[in-house]
Amino acid sequence: MSSEQIALPDRTNCVRLLRMMREIRQFEERIITLYPTDVMVTPVHLHIGQEAAPVGVCAHLTPADTIFFTHRTHGPALAKGLSMRKLMAELYGRTTGCSRGYGGSMHVVDPEHGMLGSSSIVGGGIAMGVGSALASKQMGRDWISVSYFGDGATDAGIFWESLNFAALKSVPVLFLCENNQLSNVMPKSEHLSVELANAAGAFMPASSVDGTDVLAVHEAAGRAIRRVREEKRPVFLECRTKRWMKHQGIERDDLPWNPVDREKDCPIRKLEQRLSEAGWMTAETIHDMARGIEKQIDDAVEFARQSPFPAEDELIREV
Amino acid sequence: MPWSRITQSHAAHDGDRIITYKEAIGEAIDQAMEYDPRVFAIGLDANDKFGVFGTMLNLTHKERVIGTPISENAMTGVALGAALSGLRPIMIHLRVDFMMVAMDQIVNYVAKWRYMFQGQVKVPLVIRAVIGRGWGSGAQHSGTLQSLFTHIPGLKVMMPSSPYDVKGLFLAAVKDDYPVIFIEHRWLYKNTGHVPKEMYCLPIGKGHIVRQGNRLTVVATSIAVIDTLAACKDNDLDVEVLDPRTLKPLDEELILQSVAKTGRLLVVDYDFPRCGFASEVCALVAEKGFQYLRGPVQRLTFPECSMPASGVLEKAFYPSSARIATRIREILK
Repeated sequence: MSSEQIALPDRTNCVRLLRMMREIRQFEERIITLYPTDVMVTPVHLHIGQEAAPVGVCAHLTPADTIFFTHRTHGPALAKGLSMRKLMAELYGRTTGCSRGYGGSMHVVDPEHGMLGSSSIVGGGIAMGVGSALASKQMGRDWISVSYFGDGATDAGIFWESLNFAALKSVPVLFLCENNQLSNVMPKSEHLSVELANAAGAFMPASSVDGTDVLAVHEAAGRAIRRVREEKRPVFLECRTKRWMKHQGIERDDLPWNPVDREKDCPIRKLEQRLSEAGWMTAETIHDMARGIEKQIDDAVEFARQSPFPAEDELIREV
Repeated sequence: MPWSRITQSHAAHDGDRIITYKEAIGEAIDQAMEYDPRVFAIGLDANDKFGVFGTMLNLTHKERVIGTPISENAMTGVALGAALSGLRPIMIHLRVDFMMVAMDQIVNYVAKWRYMFQGQVKVPLVIRAVIGRGWGSGAQHSGTLQSLFTHIPGLKVMMPSSPYDVKGLFLAAVKDDYPVIFIEHRWLYKNTGHVPKEMYCLPIGKGHIVRQGNRLTVVATSIAVIDTLAACKDNDLDVEVLDPRTLKPLDEELILQSVAKTGRLLVVDYDFPRCGFASEVCALVAEKGFQYLRGPVQRLTFPECSMPASGVLEKAFYPSSARIATRIREILK
């Protein structure tokens, strides 16, 4: 379904979606600027180009809903409510970071916003999302859980084990596959023999959506999450997206089998165009929004810079 | 649930309520589930008619026992996710060998979660690992592997040898907000001893002297405690037997105090020898108690090979009270 066929949600929601995608984009563009100065002490896996998936999905989640994502943390973490200050300070290795400097870019946490820890080993977080949903069900709560992963994770046994168990026990979990069609540098055609939505569909309702279009993701995720909440059962959603950056680091991806058209495949550009056409945003209001976000990032950088490093004698804690 | 109200340590070790080790662990699980609705059990065959070697046959809350597919790694992730979200899972493995399938989750996730996020999330997860030798069970059904878990920062490791300890430590493990590997040798299940009916928690990281003696300290774990006691009694040996009960945290002070008195150390641990728990205790005494030693530190462990099936080879493989006695006599010669 192309974005033209999808009705715009209300104006406030649309502006919110745009703002959140821009926050992720601009936050990571700042990382690219700062990274060569060695102020950040951690490997980064950037989300640039893939912003529609976390933003479209997290728009439907409450702070109580839990989410378990991967090494590519910044997108879903910001979209789920982690503050820029805490995330930036974590990248700087400071005590004010979300993980107090013990986690780094790949291991972020924010219990107040349902982020109970992200994993940088591909696949494992999927099962944790199922366990969290099991807890919600056993305790008779209303919140749901999201297992958020990439297509590479679907190669792992734990993905299939988790689909099976979630379906057997009928727990309220959304399996969200952000499919950038790359497992590190390997194309999907070489690492996966099935169409994901088809295969997952053997276990639960499953669908696939254009993950470069935030309105499409927002609509599909809304439907999927409603089913998870109302029917208290697992649902699978694939967001087909494009990775603009290398698997790790701050360089653009240049794999010949990963052609990216930064005009056509840009979720931010797509939404801005729709909002301009609707008369809800102008070049000027977009510019204002971007400037506001830059100030927010300035503040986060300054906060990180001013924050203390952990003390050496705090090395052995929480073991 | 106010677990803080449960008695810390129980003074009356002696009493006339005699039950088996198996009944003691079963009672602990039942009481934990009864006391706290957040406690549930999950594992392969956890809810079948055998009830995990009979340890979970008579539970009040059977509805909180989840049998799982053969998906140990994912199920460990499920238990971890549930623990992070407010439940207190008891995960069960009928053989420690099967737990190896879940080592990714145990080592990379369970053990590291509190550290990576500095305690902002809690991991109240107990993983029961049943160990022990079968009858020709062979290499893949007779593992022990306590040293492997003890090696990993972030895991507590318990190995109780008596019915009293198994109940008190199990409840302490469920109460704790850190992950605990709880290792039960199934040949202990039939052993009997005094166990108070009420709930009590033993302190984590405190060993105890199970037999007083003057000429040698034997540090033994799990069923090796029983074998060592038998060896000492049958041969009237002047030996102190120390059961650390928890391998990590380890009661270093008690071990060093005992060696200060006896001047000699033998560690009896039924696990592989290299980089093992026995090696660790020897290293501890060599580093911090060298001045007390009147002879070299010694280990009695499995040999450096996997478990064989044939009875003749099994007999050669496993230490026994007779072999422990022989070894002690050699040391005391």
